[in-house]
Amino acid sequence: MADADKKVIELFYDTISPYSWIAFEVLCRYRSRWNIDLRLRPFSLAAVVTETGNSPPGRVPAKLKWMGKDLMRQAYFYKIPFRGRKDPNNDMANKHNINVMLLLTAVTMDCPQHLESLTRELWLRFWSREEDITQPASLEAAATAAGIPADQTAALLAKLQDETVKARLTETTQEALRHGAFGAPTIVAHVGGKPHMYWGSDRFLLIADVLGEEWQGPLTELAHL
Amino acid sequence: PGRWGSSNMAAPVQARKTVEFFYDVLSPYTWLAFEVMCRYQQKWNIDLKLRPFFLAGIMKGADNRPPAMVPAKGQYMTKDVLMLTDMYKVPFNWPSNPTEVMFVKGSVNAGRFLTTVDMNCDQYLEELTRQLFLRIYYRDEDITEPASLLSAAMKAGIPEDLAKQLLSTIKDQTVKDRLRETTQTALDYGAFGSPTIVAHVDGKPKMFFGSDRFELMAHMLGEKWHGPLPELAKAKI
Repeated sequence: MADADKKVIELFYDTISPYSWIAFEVLCRYRSRWNIDLRLRPFSLAAVVTETGNSPPGRVPAKLKWMGKDLMRQAYFYKIPFRGRKDPNNDMANKHNINVMLLLTAVTMDCPQHLESLTRELWLRFWSREEDITQPASLEAAATAAGIPADQTAALLAKLQDETVKARLTETTQEALRHGAFGAPTIVAHVGGKPHMYWGSDRFLLIADVLGEEWQGPLTELAHL
Repeated sequence: PGRWGSSNMAAPVQARKTVEFFYDVLSPYTWLAFEVMCRYQQKWNIDLKLRPFFLAGIMKGADNRPPAMVPAKGQYMTKDVLMLTDMYKVPFNWPSNPTEVMFVKGSVNAGRFLTTVDMNCDQYLEELTRQLFLRIYYRDEDITEPASLLSAAMKAGIPEDLAKQLLSTIKDQTVKDRLRETTQTALDYGAFGSPTIVAHVDGKPKMFFGSDRFELMAHMLGEKWHGPLPELAKAKI
């Protein structure tokens, strides 16, 4: 199958977003079943939420409680080792920061072959093992676990505050906003020269339909974890 | 007499699992979920119990806000509802003035009418619910005036004199109380919007919000998800 036939699917995601992890794993699995070219686009959910006047869903106590249960059920259904956090609202506000997304942006620019494994490792740290994700040593450990060589890791960590990296993260976020994004994950399927935007990790039936493909369920046999 | 293989030697039939569907006809995604549950009533070993509630009461009780208050989200949902209802073959049209329909006119009379039908002749509840959805979200018609409710009732097959009698009860305290109780029951299950679906599995209530958890629900009920099942569509236009 020629690459030109593959339909481009962009996944705009932020590692602070657990539903983005579900979308990420599902789309990674479907690369071997659907004729797609999956492009991972790390962006800033915080910036999207601010720009659109949105608010985090955890503001409504009953909704936060339900989301906790929903995510555990989905984790079981999709075989993703999501384990939650004892104080999700506090942790999302205080234990995750923009440096994580800047690191993923730098990887996109300098060594994109490591983007998938580093993304997964960061989700595992934050949403599976409840480990720190803010200290440079934590980011270094994640990069190493993801298979990034030591010298490359050092170079990536050194450039997190570079204007070029910040500008690229802003650009990617602006692109998502232009597609109508207001949250994460934001999935854009390019079909027939048109972008089709979907929000959330529960529109795969519609995405399959627009791609002319078939939904084959959670494909847990293809789980990476 | 004396027949071998009498019925008490047969394998016990699996008890139907109760699935409670808490809903307000004001919500577009709720129509989608309603039609899907009605189709799956025929496929899954479930006992579907329709529970009309009052969405404004849920929003207040859970301190929630309507999602379309975020403009980009509202724009997305407008398209999303059309794509989903098209895929599921539910004949949805956006009303010419959705803000007026959803936030000004509301659903208190419709909720009370559904409640009194539930209390007195629940065999009509499914079709009355459908006829109200068709009014508000297919033909852009009113669902607040007595004449509107009467028309929906008769289209649902409720005899005219019974329909008029039921209509006369919608301001009764018993009916108001029942609608309030159902709303509170949903809040107690953790509801914060419509639809709220509660599947009772192994004696435990499992709450689902929205119209996009059916595959997961199937998995938890030990049933199979067959997708939209448009061939079982009941909303006749």
